[in-house]
Amino acid sequence: METPEEQLATLFRLRERALQGGGPERVAQQHARGKLTARERLALLLDPNSFQEIGALASSPLGDEDQRVPGDGIVTGFGKINGRRVAVFAQDFTVMGGSFSAVQANKICRMQDLAIESGIPIIGLNDSGGARIQEGVRSLAAYGEVFVRNVMASGVVPQISAILGPCAGGAVYSPALTDFVIMSESTGYMFLTGPDVIKAVSGRELSTQELGGAAVHCVRSGVAHLSAADDRAVIELIKRLLSYLPQNNNEDPPQIMPYDRADRIEPALNSLVPADERQGYDIHTLINLICDYDSFLEIQPLFAPNAVVGFARLDGYAVGIVANQPAVMAGALDIDASDKIARFVRICDAFNIPLITFVDTPGFLPGVEQEYGGVIRHGAKIIYAYSEATVPKISVVVRKAIGGAYVAMSSKQLRCDLNFAWPSAQIAVMGAEGAVRILRREELRTAENPAQLMEQFIADYRRRYFNPYHAADLGQIDEVIEPAETRPRLIRALEILRTKVQQNPPRKHGLYPS
Amino acid sequence: MNDFSFGLTITVTGMSLVFSVLALLWGILNLLIRFDQPAAAESPDLTPEPEPEVTTAGSLSAEELAAITIAVRLHAATLRQEAAPTVRSYWPGSLLFASRWVAAGRTRQNQSWQRRR
Repeated sequence: METPEEQLATLFRLRERALQGGGPERVAQQHARGKLTARERLALLLDPNSFQEIGALASSPLGDEDQRVPGDGIVTGFGKINGRRVAVFAQDFTVMGGSFSAVQANKICRMQDLAIESGIPIIGLNDSGGARIQEGVRSLAAYGEVFVRNVMASGVVPQISAILGPCAGGAVYSPALTDFVIMSESTGYMFLTGPDVIKAVSGRELSTQELGGAAVHCVRSGVAHLSAADDRAVIELIKRLLSYLPQNNNEDPPQIMPYDRADRIEPALNSLVPADERQGYDIHTLINLICDYDSFLEIQPLFAPNAVVGFARLDGYAVGIVANQPAVMAGALDIDASDKIARFVRICDAFNIPLITFVDTPGFLPGVEQEYGGVIRHGAKIIYAYSEATVPKISVVVRKAIGGAYVAMSSKQLRCDLNFAWPSAQIAVMGAEGAVRILRREELRTAENPAQLMEQFIADYRRRYFNPYHAADLGQIDEVIEPAETRPRLIRALEILRTKVQQNPPRKHGLYPS
Repeated sequence: MNDFSFGLTITVTGMSLVFSVLALLWGILNLLIRFDQPAAAESPDLTPEPEPEVTTAGSLSAEELAAITIAVRLHAATLRQEAAPTVRSYWPGSLLFASRWVAAGRTRQNQSWQRRR
């Protein structure tokens, strides 16, 4: 029979063992790789003394008694980030390579359940070699337990995944099911099948970074939303991202004290759009001039750069920004841009973040590859997302809004609350040349000087249709505004729409184009 | 002439008497004032104290001053970017009051829509 002192001594010994992780050697190896340990990462992420650990002493029942490590390669618990309650888990690579076990899954699932019930964000710091092979199908089943909770939490509480080391095989689906994936550029990588399998199957030799590094997932695949140089930078980015998100789907995002004048007029906007419609300009300039100073956090900045999405603030309130980028592919919408916009609109809608859309697109990108790739169903995602969204929606047509892309980009018919346009707006069914060729085909065919006549018809078409006033006549545009006054206009409109309530019809769920 | 001498004598004597009385009164008043006052405290030491040594911008190098300025501005920017408690005017997840979203009845958006009967 143990005395109370002996019982306490056992507890303290186990706690101490849990704090050591994989031991000093493994910790030194982790540092040599340029990575922090799980507890060091959590110490950086959370407010001082706010972390309360849950499941610190849980260990795998398999294997020898002396090989068991309390915590089983993962640190889970609750804490605070800038005073806001969050649930966290951090895989500990120093313990059995952070391999995913049934105990790990139980601990993560516990955090997910409590986060959903308490309505608090959940943040996962991933650094795991994959499933624990010794556990066989148990660890595979454990993945499923985590995945289903990822789905249940989706749209209820913000879920953020940081990839700070390996994330391979089935483990990749948990981050992929979360709202945001942030990768470490130096140490993070994720793939379904590793370089060895790729080499065996295709004979192609690739490094882990070439196959699944941040450069791949932030630029080409679009799996990751943000990246940063190392662990510390990723953790800072998590904190910044969280500042735009509410605690749950019943909350508003944080509002900060206004630090930029709400009635700020920006004369530079009046001359931002070039007179030559074939000339591009950087939409970032427009966004930065309109939003609160230094408040724009771009999401997926390198993936599909012909569309720009991100969070910003207007008069201290968080807003979601969607824009076409005329400097890249003239702002045309393609498959990737459609996916990027649609997903971002749904995230904003889920978390009660108003949407501001800046439109300057000549339409969907024409091309055989796009058609074969399914640009129709991908483009439909934008329409679906905007139509379904019930948050305040405001659009500003900056220049081109042509054809189907005009409809898709938060048009009046997609339940957009307020549609503004700049005097430079061109809202039409199709481009002037194409329209004239169809409408004046007979006259052009019989004309003595078709080129001259074509010029006349194009000029006439532009005068009649390439302006915002025709759309304003029809009620498609609520107001044509001076570009310089866009910021105060948006802030006042958002103030009005702050109490907007809109409901969708009852259903199990919509059938989202995929 | 005698009248003149007499007049002069009377004038001088009168004036002397009056001024003597006045001088006597002045002396008595001075004595009264002196005896009426409390004992005078020791006069304070009015020599100025040496100024404490204050580190001024003048004692910092330009690099140090620039580094401090940048650090302060970066800290302020970080607080703003992370919506830290010191710059926050709305606190999500507060346990002290219901969220504005709930208060405005907007949670209906998360429930199934009911047909009008």
